[in-house]
Amino acid sequence: MKAVLFSPRPLRLGFSSKVNFHARASDLFWLMFFIAMLVFLFLWSAATGSYQLSVWDSWSIVFDPASMPDRLVQVIWEFRLPRMFAAALCGAALAIAGVVLQSITRNALASPGLIGVEAGASATMLVFVVILPSVIPIVFLPVTAMLGGFIVATFIWVLSSAAGYSPVRLVLVGVGITSMLSAFTEMLITYGDIELVESALMWLGGSLYQTSWQQVYVMVFWLVIPGTLIWLSFRQLNLLVLGDKVAFSKGVDNRKTVPFLLFLSVALTSASVATAGTLTFVGLIAPHIARRFCSNRHGALIPLSALIGACLVVLGDTLGRSAFAPLQLPAGLVLVLVGAPYFIILMGRLKR
Amino acid sequence: MMMEVHSPSYITQRLSLSRLSGAFVLCVVLLLASFVHLSVGAKSLDWMTIWHALTAYDPSDLDQAIVRESRQARLLVALMVGAALALAGVIMQAISSNPLADPGLLGINSGAAFFVVASLLFLPSLSHHYLPVFAFLGATFAALLVMALSGSQQNSERLILAGVAITALFASMTAILLLIDQQGLDKLRHWLTGAIGASDLKKLEWVYPYLLGAVLYSFVLVRSLNAFHLGERVAASLGVNVMLLKLSGLVLVVILSGSVVAVAGPIGFVGLVVPHMARLLIRNGYVWLFVYSLLLGALLLVLSDIAARMILRPYEINTGIVTAFVGAPVFIALVLGKMR
Repeated sequence: MKAVLFSPRPLRLGFSSKVNFHARASDLFWLMFFIAMLVFLFLWSAATGSYQLSVWDSWSIVFDPASMPDRLVQVIWEFRLPRMFAAALCGAALAIAGVVLQSITRNALASPGLIGVEAGASATMLVFVVILPSVIPIVFLPVTAMLGGFIVATFIWVLSSAAGYSPVRLVLVGVGITSMLSAFTEMLITYGDIELVESALMWLGGSLYQTSWQQVYVMVFWLVIPGTLIWLSFRQLNLLVLGDKVAFSKGVDNRKTVPFLLFLSVALTSASVATAGTLTFVGLIAPHIARRFCSNRHGALIPLSALIGACLVVLGDTLGRSAFAPLQLPAGLVLVLVGAPYFIILMGRLKR
Repeated sequence: MMMEVHSPSYITQRLSLSRLSGAFVLCVVLLLASFVHLSVGAKSLDWMTIWHALTAYDPSDLDQAIVRESRQARLLVALMVGAALALAGVIMQAISSNPLADPGLLGINSGAAFFVVASLLFLPSLSHHYLPVFAFLGATFAALLVMALSGSQQNSERLILAGVAITALFASMTAILLLIDQQGLDKLRHWLTGAIGASDLKKLEWVYPYLLGAVLYSFVLVRSLNAFHLGERVAASLGVNVMLLKLSGLVLVVILSGSVVAVAGPIGFVGLVVPHMARLLIRNGYVWLFVYSLLLGALLLVLSDIAARMILRPYEINTGIVTAFVGAPVFIALVLGKMR
């Protein structure tokens, strides 16, 4: 059952067609379902914390602040909501980046951290936290981390495509550079001042502690522009999954499309790494969960995995906040702990 | 056995003679490197002092005491760790038919490290003699997970990515443990990046029976491995029990890398780099490949340890970090050269 909904003008990337976007009823159902799920998770997350509320209370605080006591409204609006929005936005960004990488490399195990963004950003961050503290004002740290991620990703791309691009090379060169950078990071962790290292480790684990509305606005910008561009090129992604040659024969010039898509996914990844630290396991697992609902049709896969990624990070952050209270576990670590067993079972099934 | 079928025996003899002399040269280089290893450090010692310390030890001389008490122990640990990691790498690359296999890259080291950290934090009263056992358990667990993730087809890209995912899993679980127990972080952060220290000689005593057994058993497997090199079917038709061979290879890798993790923490890339260096010298025949890998692995680790102590003197970098800086470029060069 198909319904012609709307037809965005296809993005011209060496490939143009007048095919309309067909949305299946099941896709729409799952999109609605996960939007509802996200809203519920938001309310639950807003209610959970050292000051416990009921889900109904958090509903009325969010949608009708005037009727509730000022103190509660302030707790939710100033502390909990920005944190949750940041979590959801980062999750969505990483999930979209994950879809792009898994499709470009045609490898189910690819994750956005693979092209070195995460490692580059972490290394830059640690250098400025541990070796050169107070050289750069704290406000600019995320931007600097982002820049580091971009530089490393560019280096990996240039190195792996110098003698002709191939997805296998991209992935493996990425692994090599990443492990070299993480050796460097480990060196700083081992020899740095333990106080500075502790705070850096918290950030590296993917912690959303102390997020402001300003960061949320910046993140919205960084999610919406690259995310929309990626979604508009879903047809190219559909073809790239079939193989570089098939895609080329259908008019997708992978020498232009692949770097363009990689650039967008690096932008998404580095923005969310700068906001929330290393959470990239979301980018590995969210696309897989989404594929169970809409298989490999990227038109539906991209929004659906963005929603699922957002749900996952909000869930991980809330669990990390509440499960071992007063200890706060970083959301990234919680996600790996919860997600990895599921992921392993999933891959075991895929094999057959 | 295979070689004699194809070539006259005198060529074989000359070949093995050149291999023997090559091994001898390596031994001499290793000996020289060991001397340098003993002489450098926070305090440089001259060669005569070392010679006296080794032959006619005078405990009242402080310099000689440094050599005997701390540097000698560190040297022994470096030699053993390097040789064990190199052997683990050769066996891994042989049974997975994958030139990029390495206990560090495939997550086996980080699995062992997680189990060791967990046992230290949760069972602090347990005798330290059980540490290697926990390391073996963790290494086995990680190896099984990687095998489950990478699937049955021989695909080195997928195997490496499975290793990366498993490494991430165990690394973040270790990070959670260390966040819960903050004093643990301060105590263990050196060990977690692969550190070699003088105190490790004691730990070596826990693991050397396992290491010795593993080295001997790997030489038993040489014939089957030679056949396996020609392909799984050929090996099966030559009477090799392939399943048993793979299983013993796995057990050997687990024991070798688990022991190393229990002694010196997760040290990566030695198992990747050394087999390729050895293969530049030895094209075929696993006996000599094993011998050369053991020697080259020990040499690489001694040299890395020298570098670790020289670069930021009088401070030290952890040896695992040095091997990563040496090994990762080799890995990238291999990928760029071999992968299409």
